[in-house]
This record gives sequence, C-alpha cells and structure tokens, in this order.
Amino acid sequence: MKSITLGQFYPADSILHRADPRMKVILTVLYIVATFLAKNVLSFALLLLSALFLILISKIPMKLVIKSIRPILFIMAFTALINVFFTGGETVLVEWKFIHIYLEGVYQALFMVTRIVVLILGTSMLLTYTTTPIMLTDALEQLLSPLRVLHVPVHEFAMMMTIALRFIPTLVEETDKIMSAQKARGADFTSGSLISRAKALVPILIPLFVSAFRRADELATAMECRCYHGGTGRTRMTVLHYHPLDFVILCAMLAFGAAIVVLNRLGLGFTL
Amino acid sequence: MSKIRLENISYVYGAGTPFEMHALDDVTLDIRENAVTGLIGHTGSGKSTLVQLLNGLSRPTSGRVLLDGVDIWQKPKEIKQVRFRVGLVMQYPEYQLFEETVRADIAFGPKNMGLSQEEIAQRVAEAAALTGSDASLLDHSPFDLSGGQKRRVAIAGVIAMRPEVLVLDEPAAGLDPRGRDMILNQICNYQKQTGATVIIVSHSMEDMARYCDDIVVLSRGRCIMQGTTPEVFARSEELSSVGLNVPEISRVCSMLRARGVPMDEGIFTVEQAEACLCRLLAADGKEGRI
Repeated sequence: MKSITLGQFYPADSILHRADPRMKVILTVLYIVATFLAKNVLSFALLLLSALFLILISKIPMKLVIKSIRPILFIMAFTALINVFFTGGETVLVEWKFIHIYLEGVYQALFMVTRIVVLILGTSMLLTYTTTPIMLTDALEQLLSPLRVLHVPVHEFAMMMTIALRFIPTLVEETDKIMSAQKARGADFTSGSLISRAKALVPILIPLFVSAFRRADELATAMECRCYHGGTGRTRMTVLHYHPLDFVILCAMLAFGAAIVVLNRLGLGFTL
Repeated sequence: MSKIRLENISYVYGAGTPFEMHALDDVTLDIRENAVTGLIGHTGSGKSTLVQLLNGLSRPTSGRVLLDGVDIWQKPKEIKQVRFRVGLVMQYPEYQLFEETVRADIAFGPKNMGLSQEEIAQRVAEAAALTGSDASLLDHSPFDLSGGQKRRVAIAGVIAMRPEVLVLDEPAAGLDPRGRDMILNQICNYQKQTGATVIIVSHSMEDMARYCDDIVVLSRGRCIMQGTTPEVFARSEELSSVGLNVPEISRVCSMLRARGVPMDEGIFTVEQAEACLCRLLAADGKEGRI
C-alpha cells in the first residue's frame, strides 16, 4: 500500500515548477493542440525536440520520465501495428500473402507513436510532474471561474477536489491499519476462491466507510466552526500572480505552435 | 524463561528509496513469560513497528523473532498460526469493528481459527466477561456503544483467540481516567487469570509503574534499557536524558530526599509513597518530634 504515489508531482526547482499553474494549464492545452497540428517529418521532429527540451528544463530525473512512458508502451505498440498493417498507399514495401505494408503506413505509424509519446511527456512535464495537485485545483478553479455566471458551482467543485486529494493518503493509511488489525485476528486476504476473497474485504470496507463518514462529519463541523460558507467573498491564502516569466513562456509556446504550422507548409516527403 | 526473544532486529522502511528510514536498529530483547512487560518510548521511537513484528504482521529486515525459542518466520506460510498465538490489539482498536452485533465481532478471530460453534460461543462469552462487557451488550450493534465499551469489545475480539501472548498498543489512549483504569485493570486481571504473557505499549510512566513487572525502553529505534520496573526507574537520569521521565511521584520523593526527608529509593507509585510516609511519620511520632 505504501507504494501508491498520489499524482506524480516531483519536487524540484525549475522554471516549470515556478511558473504560474494557471499558465501551465493554458500551456498544456496549447501544447496538445500543437501536437495535433504537426503533419510532416519536420514538424514531428520539432515536437520530439520540444519534449526533450521540456524534460531538460523541468529537471525531472530521466528514470522517472521513462517510468511514466512504461504504462503506455502497449498502446504505443498497438497503434504502431494497426497503422503499419492497415494503412493503404502507393509505395509497397512488403507484399506477402494477404499482408501489404506500404511506406505511408510506416510513416503514419511513426507519426502516431511520436504523437502519443510527445503528448504524454509534454503534459506530464508541463503539468503533473511540476505542479502539486493542490496548485492544480487552485488553477482550475480560477480558470473556470467565469462559468460562475452560468451558475456552475466552480468553487464547490474545486473544494471537493481539494478535500478528496487531501484525504487519499489518510484513507490509504487507514486501510493499512485496518488490514493489519484484521490480519491480527486471522483474516486472510490472499488465499481462497474469488468469492471468499471478495468476502474477506468486508471486514476492511465497513470500518473504512465508517471512518470515512466520521471524518467527513468532523471535517464539516470543523469547517462550519471556522465560518466556511462557500466561495463568495472568500480570499485566498496563496494568491496567484502572473510574473513576466509566465508571459515569456507563453510567447515561446505560441512561437512553437507557429513554427509547427510553418514547418507543415514546407511539404517535405510524406504528409499526414 | 523468555517467551519472546528478539535477536538483532532491524527494520527499514522504504529501503533503497530516498525516503529510507531505519525504524529499528539492532534491537535485542527478551519478554519474560507470565509477566506484564511495558514498552516505553517517544513517538517515533519504533514502538508500533516493533509491536507488528511480534505477531508477524511485518517481517524484520534482518534479525530473528523467537516465540518459545522458535523463529516465527521459519515457515512463512504458517504465520497465521503465530497471529493466533500472539494476539495484537492495535492502537484505537475500536476502528476495526465491522460486524452487525458485538457477538459476531468478537467471534471473528475464533471463526478464523476454524473452531466449532460451541467453542466459539463459549470463548465469546468468556472474552466478554474478562473485559467487563455486559452479556446484554452482545446482541447490540458495536456502532451503538460508547467509546470505552467499543474499546473493550475490540480487545475482547483478540482475547477470544486465547493468545499465549497479548500485545496491546496504547490500550488506554484517548480514554478518560476512569476508562483507562478500568481497561488496564482488566488487562491485568486477564493476565492473572490466564497466566498469559502481556506486553503493553504506553508512554504514561504512571500506568507503567502501576501495572508492569518489566519495562523495556526504546529510543530512536534502539532498545536502551530493559529490566524490572524498579531497576528501570532507578535509572532516572538516563531516562530523562532520552526525554522520558520517571513517574511524578518518584520525582516528588527524590525532591523530598534532597530536602532531608529520608524517603526510600525506588518508589514509583502513590501507594508506595504513602506507605513510606506513614512509616516515617509514625517513627517521628514515637521520637516525639511531631
């Protein structure tokens, strides 16, 4: 249970860590758009370079970066195979019985895999690895606050998210304790049929729910004691400010997007 | 002879990560059979980690845990049997209650042991009586009980397994003074009636002095003292050097000694102090000084 890491935040001191979280959310959206704009070899090369550049400036250890790629290896392989085998084209590379592999298919596969890798790397460097979950909810709350005009309870959603994030480690710890306590009374969670294993979870789940409700109740009382009444007129402990650096990064991102569009025009070789 | 012996036990959390922490470091100690042993130490001294090693809930990074001279990890598949022999009551055990009735909850342990229905019923009744839970409570939901009652039911759930060794991690934490005395008295009664070996983790020196025969002191993952209660409390300077105090009454006595009152050494309960003072006063009365 101890191995559960919440979010992927990795503490370090880098430009990306210091950047305003709201700006990082915007940058992430722009970056995703840019990855979908890329159409030819040159622009995909630039995408790859940009992902490497982000890894460098975020100061995240390479080991961790590779770890973040591992879970999507299967999806990458699957995408590549589908694209290689099922893309039609003009230049035939391999022809054997019912299998036809075209040059276009290989290109398409390469591009798709690059797109997935860059998408994962870029968003995790820009956002999840460099922003604490709490900062992220703060940023989302402020970015979504215009929706309040439409009576969307933005603050309440953000507060719920913050509380949920805050209590995940607590509940993990609690689960650990309850499991130990029931094991001490001879409970067995690892052997027996599927049904008996599911039944064995009851002695964990019931105390866990009871304590989660108790905590929720106590938290609500504590919040009311401190006169919490929702978002209206509430000031923040950490007020977010845009710094000149944030705008520099934004400009760099826009320039990057423009570069991708320009490179697409250069029409070199295969184009998606 | 010693019921449980820990040999060169070390326990490391998160080995090989940046968060590596040595919770226990080369601990060797003996727990005497048929005695109440107190385990004292500050928060973070490794008490709770140590307690979970005793019944095989966690496995030491290095070193051996001997129960009756046999390494409990000799047959890792039979570790469950060790858990029935060494009953562990965790901190705030009332949070482990889950059944619909008190009776069913106390029966959870014996049921896992695979006992017959009659045997289980008998053990439930016995455990409830030993912990002072009224028989009329048995059909209530454990969630309707008061805090102290819940705690006793949870302890009964472990006692019902008739463990040879009963380990309690802070059994009195968060209870009012009356509830605390009640629980600790019942644990001692249980020890006397069954002859089990009992280990109590606490940081209340007063409770330790009152209820324990032996005391083990942990500090920063090391066992720095072990011996009988008078032996350990006699080393008050060493205790205070690791941030622990002798019971308040012992300090009062040593202050009295410093002012010339000939109090005995090794007083650590109010009753002992009272007896000593009465004797002194009586002696003084005879000599006509009062």
